[in-house]
Amino acid sequence: MPGLDITRSPGRVAFRLAVPRVSGVLHPRLILVCPALGAAAFLVFCLTVGAGTGDYALAPHAVVPALWGAGDPADVFVVRELRLPRASVALLCGAAFGAAGAVFQSVTRNPLAGPDMLGITQGAGAAVAGGIVLGVGSAPGTQTLGLAGALGAGLLIYLLAWNRGTTGYRIVLVGIGISWMCLSLTSYLMSRTELHQAHRILGWLVGSLNDRGWEQARPLALALVTLAPPVLLLGRLRRTLELGDEVAAGLGTPVQRVRMVLLLCGAALAAFATAAAGPVLFVALASPQIAQRLAGTASPPVVTAAFTGSVIVLTGDLIGQRLLADAVVPVGVVTGVLGAPFLLWQLARADKTGSGG
Amino acid sequence: MTSPPPPPSPPARVPQAGDGPAEPELRACGLRLAYDDRIVVEDLDLVVPPGRISVVIGANACGKSTLLRALARLLAPRGGGVLLDGRSIHTMPTRQVARRLGILPQSPTAPEGLTVADLVGQGRAPHQTWWRQWSPGDQDAVTRALLATGMLEHADRPLERLSGGQRQRAWIAMAVAQETPVLLLDEPTTFLDLAHQIDVLDLIVDLNRRERRTVVMVLHDLNQACRYADRVIVMKSGHVVAEGEPAEVMSAGLVEEVFGMRCRVTADPVSGTPLIIPIGRHHTGRAPDGR
Repeated sequence: MPGLDITRSPGRVAFRLAVPRVSGVLHPRLILVCPALGAAAFLVFCLTVGAGTGDYALAPHAVVPALWGAGDPADVFVVRELRLPRASVALLCGAAFGAAGAVFQSVTRNPLAGPDMLGITQGAGAAVAGGIVLGVGSAPGTQTLGLAGALGAGLLIYLLAWNRGTTGYRIVLVGIGISWMCLSLTSYLMSRTELHQAHRILGWLVGSLNDRGWEQARPLALALVTLAPPVLLLGRLRRTLELGDEVAAGLGTPVQRVRMVLLLCGAALAAFATAAAGPVLFVALASPQIAQRLAGTASPPVVTAAFTGSVIVLTGDLIGQRLLADAVVPVGVVTGVLGAPFLLWQLARADKTGSGG
Repeated sequence: MTSPPPPPSPPARVPQAGDGPAEPELRACGLRLAYDDRIVVEDLDLVVPPGRISVVIGANACGKSTLLRALARLLAPRGGGVLLDGRSIHTMPTRQVARRLGILPQSPTAPEGLTVADLVGQGRAPHQTWWRQWSPGDQDAVTRALLATGMLEHADRPLERLSGGQRQRAWIAMAVAQETPVLLLDEPTTFLDLAHQIDVLDLIVDLNRRERRTVVMVLHDLNQACRYADRVIVMKSGHVVAEGEPAEVMSAGLVEEVFGMRCRVTADPVSGTPLIIPIGRHHTGRAPDGR
């Protein structure tokens, strides 16, 4: 291609465009892995919409016309109002959890950090439990409550961790504290309430895509579109943070500002995803780690982690719906059951080859 | 489409990065530094001689690392300020400072799996924008830094698989790739064995002589400080008590005052610089011939 120059120097491959003057470093494995995961996510998405699940028998060849509103009105309803929004919520919330996890792990320099370890998810849980017990929450109610709880927890963590600036370490410690506080509060609320309400809380806490529709997908899509650009644009400075605050500051990175923006974006991504689907545990923790190992990078790659998250949630939901004929298993259960062994396998393999990452 | 690797550029080159005069001017005026309520440095004035190696020495907790951090704008002063080319580094845009002044903190850590090339590439951060993340200038600077530090052959290796000395060289290469006329190093020889300590110090002298970089570093070893410094800055409880060429400044009296340790000072048989020999409690401090 004219104007595109690809050079190899020791340890890196770089690309440059003549016009406009754009240049960057290429990670050969990332170039393969990222689109492959994107394609996989798209495939499972199509499978969810097309092959479908549930009791309604729909011929695969009727799906595509139904997408455009042609064919049997019942088919159109099932595809456009049930399957498509459900698959969209799965795709979007997986992406949001994956990206949020990558941001948290990178900014705190801690592979165990993530919105579901640092109290963001638990904040949403406590708010939803409180709402249900106090009688505020019908379905859209839990969504708003979850969002408010998660965002509130995120802000609280950041403010409490502030002491002339924050450090990744303080954020992790404060986050764990907030997380246990919210868990205790949720347990207390559940123990004080009636059985059917406790059951509803529990149902939300597991994380599920049942009865999720466009009213969940829309705000989540909007959040992703809004929050992805700042996260991606700060990627270059985020990587300097991984060398430690002092080195990053020495390299001219405004450490506190960058960390604040990234953490708030990460918390907001996780908050919107939790609001839409409940806490689909494990996705935010595992997606960045799986993506990082697949791509062979030293830090969690955000976009790849987002695709990984989408694949995990979509696959988890598909399996959850299909696994047992008479019972629908919530996606949060499936992601935990299947994701954990995969991560363990990756860790074990990394240790054997000695790469560690 | 794939072009062959570029021929390595000659390492000798005056750093010309940044937007200031070639000869950097770094000074501290009335500097007052504190952690929380504890004042560490009080009313300190210092002019860093351009193009030379200055070494800060002093007992533990005398404020030498604190001073270095303040000179690198990593610590905001409670009073006074640090001027780089006549402008306060605390109000200058931090990126602009990073093009004139590089800092290597004490024992930095990198994420697991980071390769030498990736680390050294990070040194280019202050020269990059999000749309121009790897210009030919970046590539040349990294190649030069890898050459100068002898790390070119290890460019592909992850840091955790290097020896301690090689790892420290990789970090120095990162700071070198930043191409700043001023380089601050906080105890660059910590945790290295003696051979690697000398190796790193020789490398720093190379950078200073070949590229006329101004170097300020904190060292623990007095004899290494005397040998490698053009100028020593001796600190005691937050004050500069002596400053100048090692041969002029270092005396048994000064060492006793600063470190509370009796010693004899003789000439280093290799370099001719002052050699400090501690006496301790079990020796008399007199030579066997009774002089």
